[in-house]
Amino acid sequence: MRRTTTRRTRARALGTLATAAAVALSACAAPVSNRTGTADDGYASWEDVAADARGQEVSLWMWGGDEKGNAYVDDVLAPAAADQGVTLRRVPVADTADALNRVVSELQAGQDSDGAVDLVWVNGENFRTGQQAGAWECGWTDLLPNSAYLDPTDPLLAEDFGTPVEGCESPWHKAQFALAYDAADVQHPPTSLTELFDWARAHPGRFTYPAPPDFTGSAFLRQSLYEVTGGPEQVPAGPDDDGAAGATSALWAELADLEPSLWRGGDTYPRDAAALDDLFAGDQVDFTMTYGPATLDARVADGTFPETTRVLTLDDGTLGNASFLAIPANAAHQAGAMVVADLALAPEQQLAKADPAVWGQYPVLELDRVPDDLAEQFADLAPSTVVPPFDELSRGADPELSADWVAPLERGWRDNVLTGQR
Amino acid sequence: MNRRTASSRRAALLVLPALLPTVLVLGAGLGAAVIQSLGLLPLVGKPELSSAAYRALVVDDVLTGLGVSVAIAAASTSLALLVGATAAVLVQRSRIGGLAAVAAAVVPIPHLVGAATVGLLLADSGLVARLVGAQPGTFPALVGGPWWVAVVLELAWKESAFVAVVVLSSLATTERDLDEAAAGLGAGPWQRLRRVTLPLAAPALVVSGTISFAYVVGSYEVAWLLGRTYPEPLAVLAFRLFSDTDLTMRPQALAVAVLTVAVAAGALVAGAALLRRVAVLR
Amino acid sequence: MTALVTPAPHGRSGRRVLRARVEARAAKWGRRAGTVAVTALLLVPFLPILLWAFADRWPYPELAPTVWGVGGWLTATAQGAWPALTRSLLLGLTVSAIATPLGAMAGRALARGRVPYGKMVTALLLAPVAVPPFAVTMGLTTVALRLGVPGVVALVAVLVVAAVPYTTYIMRAAYAGYDEGFEETARTLGAGSRHVLLRVHLPLVAPALAAAAFLAFLVGWSDYVVTLLIGAGRIVSLPLLLGASASASGNDPTIAVLALLATIPPVLLLTAVTVLSRRRTQR
Repeated sequence: MRRTTTRRTRARALGTLATAAAVALSACAAPVSNRTGTADDGYASWEDVAADARGQEVSLWMWGGDEKGNAYVDDVLAPAAADQGVTLRRVPVADTADALNRVVSELQAGQDSDGAVDLVWVNGENFRTGQQAGAWECGWTDLLPNSAYLDPTDPLLAEDFGTPVEGCESPWHKAQFALAYDAADVQHPPTSLTELFDWARAHPGRFTYPAPPDFTGSAFLRQSLYEVTGGPEQVPAGPDDDGAAGATSALWAELADLEPSLWRGGDTYPRDAAALDDLFAGDQVDFTMTYGPATLDARVADGTFPETTRVLTLDDGTLGNASFLAIPANAAHQAGAMVVADLALAPEQQLAKADPAVWGQYPVLELDRVPDDLAEQFADLAPSTVVPPFDELSRGADPELSADWVAPLERGWRDNVLTGQR
Repeated sequence: MNRRTASSRRAALLVLPALLPTVLVLGAGLGAAVIQSLGLLPLVGKPELSSAAYRALVVDDVLTGLGVSVAIAAASTSLALLVGATAAVLVQRSRIGGLAAVAAAVVPIPHLVGAATVGLLLADSGLVARLVGAQPGTFPALVGGPWWVAVVLELAWKESAFVAVVVLSSLATTERDLDEAAAGLGAGPWQRLRRVTLPLAAPALVVSGTISFAYVVGSYEVAWLLGRTYPEPLAVLAFRLFSDTDLTMRPQALAVAVLTVAVAAGALVAGAALLRRVAVLR
Repeated sequence: MTALVTPAPHGRSGRRVLRARVEARAAKWGRRAGTVAVTALLLVPFLPILLWAFADRWPYPELAPTVWGVGGWLTATAQGAWPALTRSLLLGLTVSAIATPLGAMAGRALARGRVPYGKMVTALLLAPVAVPPFAVTMGLTTVALRLGVPGVVALVAVLVVAAVPYTTYIMRAAYAGYDEGFEETARTLGAGSRHVLLRVHLPLVAPALAAAAFLAFLVGWSDYVVTLLIGAGRIVSLPLLLGASASASGNDPTIAVLALLATIPPVLLLTAVTVLSRRRTQR
């Protein structure tokens, strides 16, 4: 505001302000530009990237609720990045969608470069939404020298929840959905979700799941959808396809029928996976679930979870996915971000974070391609009484549903299970 | 130019530095909220004036949300007024020090901290459950339960300290003098409370009660941490819609935000009307 | 109260005095019990964070931690609790440094009652109290981004506006009881305007200024929602760190430490403000 307005009368000043605000706002409402998110800087060689990256400060936006993940990035990844002249700054967000919101808002505001976000830990529907909004830089992952350790035919790395990756994000971790139980309370552990539901009905109040749209609760919905339909191949590709309505109504019928047997009679659900973990730790329920089972060891070791905690082995396998690092199309430090994404793929880094004591994230590398001495160290990682080794855990792994399914399932659960009973 | 206009001009100049940012931030924020809720500033798609966001809102969600928000605010504010006023009167009358300091020390604690600690206290496996030796599944549903007990208690706790501090500062020495005078005239403790203390404290009670009601209606973190999945208070509903990965839900989030502002503003208007009546009574 | 404590005479009036005396005694004990009860009620919620902050291991249903320690402090430190604390302090101080003078000027003008459209201006200045910050911020993030306003600036602006009602309200009340005669006397005695401001005006309103500054500090210090929405993670304040910890599992000692860290500075500051203003009034 200019000083001169202060000399006018109050009414005039307010009127001017209102007009100014209106003009500013209408100027803001410019139509959406059609960004495609291609590599317009067009790095031709890794040398150019490495040279540009030197001296850059990269901000990596990632969910901040995982203490070990935070410590790994700060204490292991960041120093290694510093060796290559890149300062890595971790920006903890409460929800990955916050990072995406930021990028999309910036792009909407016409800020096509110099954005606040350089790198995002992302997968699934957040990746897809960003892809639709042209928020990601694409076609850069083949440049990364360490991508040589990846298996190009690995389906988990080619599609992210049904959305083709197409060089718009670089893999970081693999994850396996798992249920855990307290062996002291569950003598005959179920071997399928149907058996688990029967167990829950026989033991009212001792099972529940996090309320979707919590990430873990949402995964539980998809796992249950596989169960009621008979497997991934039985689920239609999209939520609007033929047969989708039948599949979901069977799911809602099952979950609604289960509801009275849940913790607190299904009157409410844990807010998120952390709240379910609290219930499990406090012996209020006998099962918990996670998409990062390697973290279970630490919870048992620090006494939060009972020593009798075990991962439930399901005959039909469980959901598996990979998570990635994506660079926003308007990132201020794209070269630096690429250096960090490359570093994240280095066998030493993948090994370090696979150690449950450090973080416990499963590697995305093809171990046959990794130098022998390092491959041996992967095999030697501390054996656990709680969690079976990854190859056993991921046996018969189910691919994730298309990301198109995620939101409709979450909304459908709300309408048919959560509020439908009342 | 006469003296009067000169001094009123000076007064206007003194007010402007506070008024300008207030009008600008409130105007831009609320204006943009309204505009976005009307679909004029979408994150994806073309801008188009429509009431679709308001119509798309699930009526049940909004109505129950409204009911829950108002009920939580009413319950916690009433409790806060009761405890806060009691604390203030006790400080005025009692020779035991410390209460005033404790109340003052509770005010600056962030509500998020309060929510965290009340959770550790009242959850199913919290400190209280351990103390009473509750068997799993038998402890009453205070956190996430149907009556929002933990949410109301946390808000009442923090806000009662706020009420106590505001009421105390308004009573101060005047009340003590009048009270002693009334006592000298032979008035009993209850009589003095009803005839002297409460009328003197009434404006402060109305002001602090109104502020705390409006605050609770708009507060998010306590209900999010200690509340339940369904129904949701307005602020939690707006937050869920705002952070939905489906960006087309944004206008709906802002529609709920606009509604929340209306409720809080309504509370303030009602509080102002009440204050006028109380002041007249006095 | 002392008026009632006289030797009890006999007869009818004596019985009445006796009754009054018993009543007074009962009321006195009632007040004592009430004071202790209310104080305890206000203090109880501090208990869990004090215990958890020094619990390395506290499995359910143990009544007390089975292993005491400072694990929570180490984790909190590793999570960047101290830089976050510094950031929160800076944020609180910045908000306070801006909102206090704004409130003082507005409060003074309003107290003198010469502001044109005074009622409307007062209503506007107090309005932010009734406007939920999350609603304003949800709208403002988009506008701020489109206008290229840096996140920190927008954040401070929203928090200053949220603090202005408190500073204005306090300072208006202070200036309502402020006698300008002192200033005029000083002026007639030949004091310059600078001298009058520093030696007469400011000392007289200092307690109110301190209270206003403290409340404005609190607005910045304890904010969670606005920093989350507008700071978009760039500004990791202490409440933000706490919120992130609360949304993950098994962090109870860390949560307790962060909660404790978020509690101590404002309480210390409050003590300082109280002691300073008490010393002033005693003088």
